Amino acid sequence: MRDFILKRVAALLLPFIQMYGLYVILHGHVSPGGSFAGGIVVGLAFIAFTTIYGLERGRAKVPEKVTTLVESYGTLWYGMMGMVGVFKGAPFLANKMAGIDLGELGALSSGGLIGLIGLGVGIRVASTMITLFFTMMEEEP
Amino acid sequence: MTATIKSNLPVFVVIMPLFVAFVLPTFARRIRLVEGLVTATTALGFLGAGYLASLILIQNGNPINYSLGGWSAPWGIEIQVSNLSCFFLLMVAGVSLPIALFAADNMTHEVGGPQQTTRFYALYLLLGGALAGMAVTSDLFNVFVLVEVATLSCCGLVSSSNHPWASEAAFNYLILATLGSALILGGIGFLYIITGHLNMEFASHELNRVWQGYPHVVWIAASFLLVGFGVKSALFPLHVWLPDAHSAAPSPASAILSGLAVKGYAICLIKVLYNVFGIALIQDFGIHRILTLLGMIAIIAGSVFALTQDKLKRRLAFSTVAQVGYIFLGLGLANSQSLTGMLFHMASHAVIKSGLFLAAGAIIATTGKNRISEMAGVGRKMPITMAVFTICSVSLVGIPLFSGFVGKWHLLLGSLEAGNRLAQAVIIVGSVLCAAYLFPIIRVAYFEPTPVADCRDPGLPQMIALIMLAAWVIILGVVPGPFLELAKRAAIDLLVMK
Repeated sequence: MRDFILKRVAALLLPFIQMYGLYVILHGHVSPGGSFAGGIVVGLAFIAFTTIYGLERGRAKVPEKVTTLVESYGTLWYGMMGMVGVFKGAPFLANKMAGIDLGELGALSSGGLIGLIGLGVGIRVASTMITLFFTMMEEEP
Repeated sequence: MTATIKSNLPVFVVIMPLFVAFVLPTFARRIRLVEGLVTATTALGFLGAGYLASLILIQNGNPINYSLGGWSAPWGIEIQVSNLSCFFLLMVAGVSLPIALFAADNMTHEVGGPQQTTRFYALYLLLGGALAGMAVTSDLFNVFVLVEVATLSCCGLVSSSNHPWASEAAFNYLILATLGSALILGGIGFLYIITGHLNMEFASHELNRVWQGYPHVVWIAASFLLVGFGVKSALFPLHVWLPDAHSAAPSPASAILSGLAVKGYAICLIKVLYNVFGIALIQDFGIHRILTLLGMIAIIAGSVFALTQDKLKRRLAFSTVAQVGYIFLGLGLANSQSLTGMLFHMASHAVIKSGLFLAAGAIIATTGKNRISEMAGVGRKMPITMAVFTICSVSLVGIPLFSGFVGKWHLLLGSLEAGNRLAQAVIIVGSVLCAAYLFPIIRVAYFEPTPVADCRDPGLPQMIALIMLAAWVIILGVVPGPFLELAKRAAIDLLVMK
């Protein structure tokens, strides 16, 4: 596609869209939104990039190998965070009971493991969005 | 270390297959490693289930409660390992291990290259994890989530086949199953509106206190749940997706879908009906009569449809519809004998139908023929496969010394206790019809003169899997002891709850 305006606007906006997505993921435990919504915004940035700059350049940004790895290990990351409780002698997914400092209410560093779990969910959702999109794009008509 | 594993075992049996399923796609290049991981995971699951079951038997059926995240029951999500959970966990683990063994080294012609095979295994483990979760969960919303995980993995398993109709069958299944999921979610929502609890124990307590204020809401919730789980577990008029889906899927997938997946939804329905509504409410509302009637219709109709099929896997799939009828019949008769029989029949049918589908898969894979009329002489060329098929058929008919007999016997005792003459007749006629649709296959395979060109028994892992399932059938039939005890205690638990 040779749309000059679209490409320039996208080049200006996409970094901010991604930043916003990461912001929503990271602040999932202290503000509205959350890692699922944030992950979708991040994935959407890549989808917008692909629709504007073409399939090849989009695929070059996120090869299939990367999405497979992120999808698998994003979920495993969730499991590992759950296992922290088990290793500390508390039940699966325990947070405060596992002796983790919950910090000051409302601060970004508060919430113990919840923020970290959200990070895993966020990148996984982003990569799932991308995989779904590419699956539909690359499918033979 | 061991103490940690022991105390967290109720959650490990669920999350271990789930997380192994998620990392599997990264090993797609090394298919041997994938197969090894899947077999090891199912074997570990079997050990875990066995340990939990022995623990429960020693504790005299005292349930083990596990609070996720340390938040106890009404607030947090609770996992409860009871007699019923142990029974179903053992069933899932005992059947999924041989199926995983059978699938090893055998998936290329039915599924495709290593990439597709790895995805198949990932879905297989996801389904296993979801079924284990259904066994142990005691939270209504978790039931819905696990039902969704299981449904989507089932659709994926069906569509992973090379079979030309697989996509269509999977799509049909997806549409109907989504309808079922929506109804289940609606039913759970209505229950939550009037009880304010998602934990089954608390919801049940609250429901039995307040239901007289909201009889219509309870009616709607009950009917939504009944139809929702009825679609998913292929109760007769709602079974239309099953024959296509189960016959188009790859054989190991057909085995787990027919053997375990439909029972997973049945277990969820049992939990919701008996642990949340409670036996008193079921009888007040007359739900048990509906279940009995639908079960009887399913037995006769499923068997008659099975008689008319010439394709081997379709005949077995319709047979599943009939056997699901037995489960609902036992559920409807609602006394301890019938519930014991229903649970035992569920387990023995899981083993039998997996054995039948795997043997059928082996026959179809080596001969390339899927019609019963073309299978003349297979029994002489593939003696062990056909022997397993025969043992499983004989057991499904319900001949003594095989597992099918124990379940049907208790069902019959239950119908005598309930004084339901029609149910007694239907159970016996169902057995006769079962013989009528399974024995001709054996006759064709052993006694028809024309031999098939050339085919022989499958490789070693497949043989081990088939022999393992046949061994389960005989062990459950000859010494049902501890397993029957577990089923009896689970049945009594269901009836005396609250």
